[in-house]
This record gives sequence, structure tokens and C-alpha cells, in this order.
Amino acid sequence: MSSLVMPLDVMWFELRRSLTFGRMAMWIMLIAFPVAIIAVLTFSIEPKSVDSIEQKSVDLEIALQRLGFAVYFLVPEVTCLLGLLLWATPAISTETEGQTWIFLVLRQSGRRMVLLGKYLTAVVWTFSAALVATVLCTLLINQLLIDGEADFHMWYVMAVLSLLSCITHAALYILIGVIFYRRTMAAAVLYTVIIEYGVSFVPALINKFTINYRLRGLLANWMGWDEVRSEAENVFGTEPSWTHLLVLAAITLTLLGVALYRVERTEYPTQQEG
Amino acid sequence: MTTMIELSGVTKLYGDVIGVNDLTLGLESKAYGLIGPNGSGKTTLINLLIGQLRPTLGQVRVFGVTPSRDRSVLRRIGLCPASDVLYPNVSALDFVQYQVRLHGIDRRECRRLALEALETVGMTSAMKRPMGTYSLGMRQRTKIAQAIAHEPDLLILDEPYNGLDPVGRSEMTSLLKSWAGSGRGLIFASHVLQEIESITSSFLLIFGGRLLAFGSAQDIESMLVDTPQEIRIIGPDAARLIHRLADVDWIESLQLTQGRTELKVSLRDPGQLYSQIAPWIAADGLQIHRVVAADGNLTAIFESLLKHHRGETV
Repeated sequence: MSSLVMPLDVMWFELRRSLTFGRMAMWIMLIAFPVAIIAVLTFSIEPKSVDSIEQKSVDLEIALQRLGFAVYFLVPEVTCLLGLLLWATPAISTETEGQTWIFLVLRQSGRRMVLLGKYLTAVVWTFSAALVATVLCTLLINQLLIDGEADFHMWYVMAVLSLLSCITHAALYILIGVIFYRRTMAAAVLYTVIIEYGVSFVPALINKFTINYRLRGLLANWMGWDEVRSEAENVFGTEPSWTHLLVLAAITLTLLGVALYRVERTEYPTQQEG
Repeated sequence: MTTMIELSGVTKLYGDVIGVNDLTLGLESKAYGLIGPNGSGKTTLINLLIGQLRPTLGQVRVFGVTPSRDRSVLRRIGLCPASDVLYPNVSALDFVQYQVRLHGIDRRECRRLALEALETVGMTSAMKRPMGTYSLGMRQRTKIAQAIAHEPDLLILDEPYNGLDPVGRSEMTSLLKSWAGSGRGLIFASHVLQEIESITSSFLLIFGGRLLAFGSAQDIESMLVDTPQEIRIIGPDAARLIHRLADVDWIESLQLTQGRTELKVSLRDPGQLYSQIAPWIAADGLQIHRVVAADGNLTAIFESLLKHHRGETV
């Protein structure tokens, strides 16, 4: 039992030591960035003066789809990826560069527990920012577009997608951090740009192995955007939600498993001489 | 006594660079000084002992197990590394508690052990302050606290006197003497011989990744008896001593350097030189400023031991 909760203790330690001005400013920036863009987009949509209720409903749905996709792109993708790049990717490099890795490898459970703890920290810290951002974005959309009529469905979908994005992308960035402990950030950014934003849009089998393809599929399924999907099947996929969830779970477990295996066996530099 | 450390033919390569070279030894559980100049392989050896590094060749066993394979042995090892603790906004109490927790020890027990260790090193009054506000000496004590908090059977210290003031050094010496006196294992790495001599009389001398000597100070002295040692005679009249030294049979070689003001004497029996040099200087009215002996210069001792190691002895 004591060992099972150890990653939580590592997470608690990491979160406490992250309460610095710089980290908090970054957290606020991650929230402010999508909220500001959604605010601009929402205010720029002029409500059309149409007579028929049906036409008004169609316009509203199209606007919601556009704003919904903007929220998805800005929060579960951009905010989550930026937050995780800051937290998950440098999991090992901050310790090796800070000369503290030696203290952790000295411990019986040091390597694995610290990696799992840092993974949880990255997920919790990033998801907290993403959650606040989705709340504010959906509140803005609700208030300004549909005259206060609450749409909790969009918030719920975006929150769950943010959580899935954090869980899966954190595992990916942790593995990148374990393998490329030098030039970690460059490796992670390069991977994200090429694979998650390049390959995931390629209309071939390979895009089905990317995280963003699966998240977009879930977005279309859960938001009921069948029409949008039918126009771009390569982008949103046609698989049922359980397939996407199963693949995301498999990706997460595989990436974490490989990261834990590697961290146990890699001889990271300890910045010592003598 | 139980065997604490067993090394058999241990070699560690970093690419083409040799970290340690063919180390073979067995150490019982007691205090040892690991001495060698910077870059000699001390830290590589320590990293092999804690399983951070795996040997390229050979086998490392600590308390009967291979530390890189069975990490449970780390519960029995405490290490105070040479590198500084760089968690500026974490208190010593949180840091030590966290380190103990990573051994899988129960949370409450962690706190008790951390408090005890910090008290042992005299950090109780400052233990709740962020470590960024600590002096180098206080950070050094915190490092010692994390090394002893989980009550290990073997304590490894890498340059533990770094940053300590004279009072801190004295307290550290008392702590280490008490540790060594308790019968538990201690490996104390330093490049300063005097620091080690105050704690233990058993030495491991390492240089260029090789174990040059192992034993007490007397053992090492006896090894050096037949090994030519180098003594430097410095002064404006150093060259005028050549005619005295050229005729004696205990001199191996003479070399005049530094614009004829430094005479390097390679010899097998330094005692002979020490007994005769003062009368020669007085009789010839020479101006000699300094006589630098091999045993005052660690590098010279290592060079002598290296010659012994290579079999370059008479």
C-alpha cells in the first residue's frame, strides 16, 4: 500500500516545489491564451436577424461547431500540449541538469516512482489549467451566443477530451524525456509538429496511430458532428468511441511501460567529477 | 566480519575513456578512505557501488548482491554525493523526508527518521527554511542527513568537507568517527589525505582509474620503500648540490630545471637525503629555499605508486 501511493507523494512534492512565480504565471498564461482567442471569436460573430426559428437554429449550430472546434484546438490540443511540454518532457533533464538525479537513483524505488510521480504531476497541473480554460471558454460561448442558455455538453466533452489529451500526451512526452535527456524540448516539439500535426492529417493508415486523430474522432462522436465527419473522414475517423478509447489506453500504457523500462536501465549523467 | 564490497575485474568505459580499470578487491564492513586526485575514478567507483552505473566488464557486489540489478540493496547504502542540492524552494525537512520516502518507508516513519537525521547533523533549527536560503555548509549537512536518515549499513561520502567551516569540519569529523566506531561501513572519498587520516587509517588509493594501493598507511609506506620517490630542492644554489649527490649510491637520477634553481632528485631512500642535506648546505654555504618531499605532495605519491604498479621498482 505504501508503495502504491508513493507516486502521489512524489506528485505532492513536485507540486509544492512548483509554487513559484514563474510556474504560476505560466499556468495563468495557459488559461488566458485560449480564453482570449475564444472571446475575440465569440464577439466577432454577429447575430443574424432572421425571422424563422429553424434558420436561427441552423446558424447557431454552425457557429457552435466552429467555436467548438476552436475550443478543442485551443484547449485539449494547444493548452494541454504546451503545459505537458513544460512539465512532462523535462522530467529527467531537469534532474540531471540540476544535479539532483544522483539523489533519486540512490533510492530503492527512486527511478520508477519519480517518473510516475512526475507523470501524474504533469497530468494534474496541465489538466487543472485546461479545465479552467474550458469552463471559461464555454461560459463565454454560452453567454454571448445563445443568450445565457447553458450548454454544459460542450464543456463536458472538452473537459473529458482535455483529460484524455493530458493522460496520453504526458505518457508520450515522458518517454521522449526519458530517451532524449539532452535537447529534450527540441525532440518533443519536432515530434509534435511532424507526427501529431502532420502525420495525423495524412489520409492513410499511419494517422490512426496518432493521438490527435483519436481525440478528433472522439470530439466528432461525442459532439454529434456527423455532417462534419462525413466531409472529412480522414480527419475525424469513422470508428466508434470505444475503439478510440481503447487505442488511447493502449498507447498510454505502452509509452509509460517503455519509459519505465528505459529509466531503470539508462545511465544518465550525474554531473559529478572525480 | 561480513564482506561489504566485492569487486572482481571491474572496468567501466565511457566510450573510449576509461573510468575505472580492472578493479579487484574485497572490503569488510569498516571505514575506508578512498583517495585520489580529481578525475581519478573515485566518483565512477561510487556510482558503480550504488548501481547508477553498470560495469563494462567484471562484477560489483555490495552486501552480496549486484546493485544495478537488485535495487533493494540501496536501502542499506547512504550516499552523500559531491554535487550540491539544488531544490531552492524546498525545506531540508521536506527534502530529507522525501528522500527517505523513496525507499518505500512508511510516511510517519519517514518524518521521524528525517527529524532524527537533521538533529544529528545540527540542522533542527533551520530545517523548515527553504534550502535556497542556506549556506554551503548547511546544504552540506542536509546532504549528510539524507544519507544517514534511512539508517544504512554503508555510508559513502564524496568530498564531505566541501564548504564546511572549521567548526563544521570538527563536527563532521566527530560524526564520522562515531559512525566508524559503530562498526558500520564507511567509504570516505577525498583528494585531501589529512581529511581521511583523521577518520580512518585504511586507504584505497585510486589514480587513473586504477587501484594503486590498498591497506593502512604503514602498508602503503612499505610498498613505497623500494619505489623511487621524487624530491625537489629549490633555491638559487640548487645546482651546486649536484656534485654532492652525484657520488652517492642511493640516488636514481638528478634533473636540473627552472633556470637551474630547482633540482629534481629521484631516490629510493629519502631518509638518507634528509639526514645529510642540512650539513652539506651549511658546509658549502648554499642558499636553498625549500625541499619539497614526495609525501607532502599527493600527486608525487601517486606517481610513485603508479611506478610501483607498473613494476618500475628496483
